Amino acid sequence: MIARVLSPQRPAWIRPLVATLVVLFALASAVAQESQPLDEIYGPAAPEASRGGEVVVGIVYEPPALDPVHQQADATTAVTVLMYQGLAYTDWDGTIRPMLATGWSASEDGLTWTFELRKGVTFHNGHELTAADVKYSYDYIRSEGCGCAGSVYLNAVDSIEVVDDYTVAFHLSSRNSAILAGVADKLTAVFPEGYFDGEGAQARLNQKSVGTGPFILEQFIPNQSIRLVRNPNYWQPTVPYLDAITFVSVPDGNTLLNGLRTGQIDLAQLARPQDIVQLAGVNGLSHQEQASWVQKSLDLQAGGGVTAEKAVRQAISLAVDKGEILQAAVQGYGQVIGLVPAGMQERWGAPLDELPMRGPDPERARELLAEAGYPDGVDIQITTIIGFDWMTPAAEALASQLAEAGIRTTIQRQDLGVWINNWGARAFVDITLNDWGTVPDPSLLFDAHFQMRPVGNDFRNWNNEEATKLFTRAKQATEYDDRYELYAEAQKMMAEEAITIPLFSSSIVAVTQDRLHNYVQHPSGWYFGLIRTWVE
Amino acid sequence: MLLTALIVSILVVLLVHAVPGNIVQQMLGQLGAGSSDARATLEAYFGLNRPMHMQYLDWLGELMRGSLGDSWNQGTPVVNLVLRAFAVSAELAVLSLLFALLVGSLLGIAAALFHDTVVDLGIQAFNVLGLSLPAFWVGAMMLVVASNVFGWGPPFRYAGPLDNLQLNAQIMVLPMLALGLFNAAAISQFVRDLVLEAVRLDFVRTATAKGASRTTVYAKHTFRNILVPLTSFTGVIFIGILGGVVAIEAVFNLPGIGRLILWALQTRDYPVVQGGVFLMAAVTLLVTLAVDFLYAVFDPRITYA
Repeated sequence: MIARVLSPQRPAWIRPLVATLVVLFALASAVAQESQPLDEIYGPAAPEASRGGEVVVGIVYEPPALDPVHQQADATTAVTVLMYQGLAYTDWDGTIRPMLATGWSASEDGLTWTFELRKGVTFHNGHELTAADVKYSYDYIRSEGCGCAGSVYLNAVDSIEVVDDYTVAFHLSSRNSAILAGVADKLTAVFPEGYFDGEGAQARLNQKSVGTGPFILEQFIPNQSIRLVRNPNYWQPTVPYLDAITFVSVPDGNTLLNGLRTGQIDLAQLARPQDIVQLAGVNGLSHQEQASWVQKSLDLQAGGGVTAEKAVRQAISLAVDKGEILQAAVQGYGQVIGLVPAGMQERWGAPLDELPMRGPDPERARELLAEAGYPDGVDIQITTIIGFDWMTPAAEALASQLAEAGIRTTIQRQDLGVWINNWGARAFVDITLNDWGTVPDPSLLFDAHFQMRPVGNDFRNWNNEEATKLFTRAKQATEYDDRYELYAEAQKMMAEEAITIPLFSSSIVAVTQDRLHNYVQHPSGWYFGLIRTWVE
Repeated sequence: MLLTALIVSILVVLLVHAVPGNIVQQMLGQLGAGSSDARATLEAYFGLNRPMHMQYLDWLGELMRGSLGDSWNQGTPVVNLVLRAFAVSAELAVLSLLFALLVGSLLGIAAALFHDTVVDLGIQAFNVLGLSLPAFWVGAMMLVVASNVFGWGPPFRYAGPLDNLQLNAQIMVLPMLALGLFNAAAISQFVRDLVLEAVRLDFVRTATAKGASRTTVYAKHTFRNILVPLTSFTGVIFIGILGGVVAIEAVFNLPGIGRLILWALQTRDYPVVQGGVFLMAAVTLLVTLAVDFLYAVFDPRITYA
């Protein structure tokens, strides 16, 4: 189920086999999604596990707050998934599986999705989960008053209906295959009905959790630590095994390594995967490498400047040597990618060798520039974001590759806030390095980024009607095969147009003390694995 | 001083708001950055849609009532966050200052007493070394040596002196040394020069000439004379330490005021940044004031009308 090492090259017959299995699975799910045995949710049961004990997890990025719907930061999500749950969850291989729902079915026209709810689930405040809570929560997330980023994932929802106490129906305005991924996503969760109506409800989430998850918030001391304890009334009978988890904020990467060396930290995802070499030879530590759902990419401005010209963008794409950048940025701890993150390539990626405009081919890049009327090359700016360690060496490698194709560059470093400001305003200059992803569905990954306004946000000012139509068709297709073909076509179009050049996915390297058992890193970076972790 | 505080408060708010980007964009991230509805809702929630001078006056009003408002990230009073973090920094700063004063003065006096001997030379070598090695580097080296050679490191989970004194001592000892060594070197050099200068003063020579013992000459005449400049120097050192604490906190993973402000700044939690910076400014003003008063205590000739 899980890639312990970076996914090796798979034989050619794997793809059709996986595709067939997925289709069968999708067909089954269209009729009625059968519930997973309770024991298998969140991964394999560990019959030999002993119960009790505590672990200390070192985290480099501390969540600003523990509110799973208003805070989009990955640092928040990584922790809140232990306390809050949605109707479904995303398994390690990217499959959407039932969570608070036991199963679901879609009407023939694909416009109504009916979810059967799990019985006997209680919130941390003792309230029992019913359909009214589900309707309230998803209605709240997609409401204007919420101001929630997760609303993007629910914009196809027209209304939500309580059919009976344990059945809820989502009525869509148009067919949308991503709706399951939407209710499984990091930015949606089920709360007790009316929770956010009260004064200060958002802030209270930092003191008291009200989810249905296996862990309950005990204490959050900002700038120091977050302590979660086992939910004694949790609905899965066997898990969690641990009594408590303390997340300790360790903003400095070297300090984190020291904590692992001295045994004070039981588990940590390294801020820089290549730092693992600094732990070589330390007794009592193990590590796992996991291909991630995050992509490090180069984005191009199509709305102005020289990069508005397709030929210039194509020349940039041809000049890029992704392998060399991967080496420079994270010393090779990751995978070169096509148009989707490494963790999604097997299921959704167009084959890398079928993508046009692949570099490095500086000769061809020069020719393209000359044909476009730039025989002497062009000058462009590369933007990097302060705090993203990989970007500085990546930008330097990129600059020298572009120079070979006659593209002269200046590198500008920006504060994250400034960068997001420009990004949201679609006003970044020329080309920028970017770091994004963490969604397992191609519709959630592509739509908001690449569809024309007002359907999407079109951050790169691509303004491509053909692509927008293609993405819409792909979203509305129900069969996996059809969806795959449409998304593969879209990816080739994006590569041909060189509107974005995803470079690589760095691996998530999770280091554990040997006293920890059964921790399996999720490709999103979330701490799902702790639900099945036990200690000696 | 009140006027200074007022100017500082205006500067703090102006500077914080001059940083582009706000908490709403941080909360929404890349994806939500394009949604103007969500942005407008959240900006109204935080009052970011109001004119900046109104936001400042709101904050000033809160300040007058002894409150610094609520953290936007946490929803809890900024005063609690800031004071808890400041307690950590203050403990480290005071411990480092005491260490630096004790070690620095003793070394400085020893160097002066054994002027131009091997002792003096050794102490001066220590001073040069201490002054030229940055405290954060010394701290990082201490950690590396402790964890690689001794397999020991300061505890990660912070405990205050009132929670657990023993644990607190283990947490504080290395940062205190890292920050203290630099300042001990500075004080040592300063004291040495002061003492050497003081023994050449007329009345000290007179005291020696009239047969006073060496102890009396130093204790009664020399050392008392260096107290005023030393006090003023200590004030400067302390303010320096308060600044240096920020770097050391990062190295030793201490949840102090520097880390809090940085964290709040990265997430654009304006009330916490403003509260934290204002508190640090206020402490600096108070230290300066305290030093002025100490002059009068040590030197009766200085009076304040």
